[in-house]
Amino acid sequence: MTLRLGRQSFSDDASLMMAIVNRTPDSFYDKGATWAEDRAFDRVAQVVDQGAEIVDIGGIKAAPGVEIDAAEEISRVGSFVGRVRSSYPSLVISVDTWRAEVGRVVCSEGADLLNDAWGGADPELVDVAAEFDAAIICTHTGGVTPRTRPHRIEYADVVASAIADTTAYAERALAAGVARESIVIDPAHDFGKNTAHSLEVTRRLSEMVDTGWPVLVSLSNKDFVGESLDLPVGERLIGTLAATAFCAQAGARIYRVHEVVETRQVVDMVATIMGSRQPARVTRGLA
Amino acid sequence: MTSSAAVSWNAVVVPSSPLMVGPLGFASVVWSAGSAAPRADADPLGNVRALALDAVRWLVSASPSRVVVLCAPADPSNVARGVTVPLGERVARSLLSAAGFTGEVVIGTSSEWSSRPSAGEAVPEGTGVLVVGDGSARRGEKAPGHLDERAFDFDASVEKALRDCDATALSALDPSLGADLLAAGVPAFRALGSLPGAAAHSAVVDYAGDPLGVQYWIVRWPCAS
Repeated sequence: MTLRLGRQSFSDDASLMMAIVNRTPDSFYDKGATWAEDRAFDRVAQVVDQGAEIVDIGGIKAAPGVEIDAAEEISRVGSFVGRVRSSYPSLVISVDTWRAEVGRVVCSEGADLLNDAWGGADPELVDVAAEFDAAIICTHTGGVTPRTRPHRIEYADVVASAIADTTAYAERALAAGVARESIVIDPAHDFGKNTAHSLEVTRRLSEMVDTGWPVLVSLSNKDFVGESLDLPVGERLIGTLAATAFCAQAGARIYRVHEVVETRQVVDMVATIMGSRQPARVTRGLA
Repeated sequence: MTSSAAVSWNAVVVPSSPLMVGPLGFASVVWSAGSAAPRADADPLGNVRALALDAVRWLVSASPSRVVVLCAPADPSNVARGVTVPLGERVARSLLSAAGFTGEVVIGTSSEWSSRPSAGEAVPEGTGVLVVGDGSARRGEKAPGHLDERAFDFDASVEKALRDCDATALSALDPSLGADLLAAGVPAFRALGSLPGAAAHSAVVDYAGDPLGVQYWIVRWPCAS
């Protein structure tokens, strides 16, 4: 299915890089490296140069911590979205927020996509997406409260839960008026999941792809990689890329990443192996 | 207080972490399947699990014909996701099985516990009590429930009640504060405190600690008589 993310449409064989841009002082991976607005803007320039189709701008770290109210979140991301939009008229701008109030501001500033990492915690977010003809990411969290860690969370079948919840959310977005081609689902690795759950949704990602909704995966440097390989944040790129390759083979469409270049190479290589992408150059043994 | 002469039951308190049923907390993955040796702290509750098993072996060594398990009911969110058996029950059955217990297991959260004694009535002869529960899961910024400063005083009061076999204090634990603090053991500790003869015990605390940001205890309550 053709995917339309605000002002841009993508064919159904396109794999998209969504680069993470944090306007936070405390996110787990960059630890505030792009907290200053100019540093965040430099990060946008860098990832655009690296070929990212989408930037995902976030103003609140996912883990528990200092409470950030909507006004503070808006002050972090609102005008920044406007600044990025002015400089990059055709770039797909996503904002990582669960709040409708924030969604309304960023869409009016030019955001194309609302990345609701907390699975519909604010039921009015879909109405905002519909109002602005924006796209939406429907994630699975198992129903946990935003910014909480999973604690003894259990599923009879985590993949069935992820499919049921994300497709129900997608249908709810559709009913609210979001365009069908602008709805994406995401199993949300490590959100409301322990490592076993995140590994299982990876192993069985093709079942989510089989729903027909485009699938986004957010694997980058997460704890399930760290626990699998016993590696701290900062040493998880290779594990992340292995998981990326697995998801690419299963048919994921969008990759939310810290490292654009490396992820692009992996996804392109998998697509080339699978025959959905031509090699860049084929002369070896053929001259 | 029930007279000590009538009390003949022993009790044990163990943690209710999923890690108590195995080093990874989930059975579908085979431990040591990888090529690399697990690091020293790959099983951070290994010692806790061993101590808990020792305590349950002690409980079983008195040859009870039945073990009553006191634990919290299944988390409603997990029930909604299709997991209906309380975590505490699974931990208890795992430890009892490992300790070689083959008698009757009665789960204290369910209506099956028809033999529950009412006030003033003695716990039946041949009963062992296995309490599965923890203190707060909010004992640090990296704790499952992040930091709540109230956790420390709350857990200290629970620990004192367990050490002192203070039935009144246990049965009066505040369930709503316990829920706020993600203290999964509160319903079970309240039930322990309400058992006839609870106060007529002495306590041996084998372990108290919070290695993962959750307060765990392993306590034996031999009957005093």
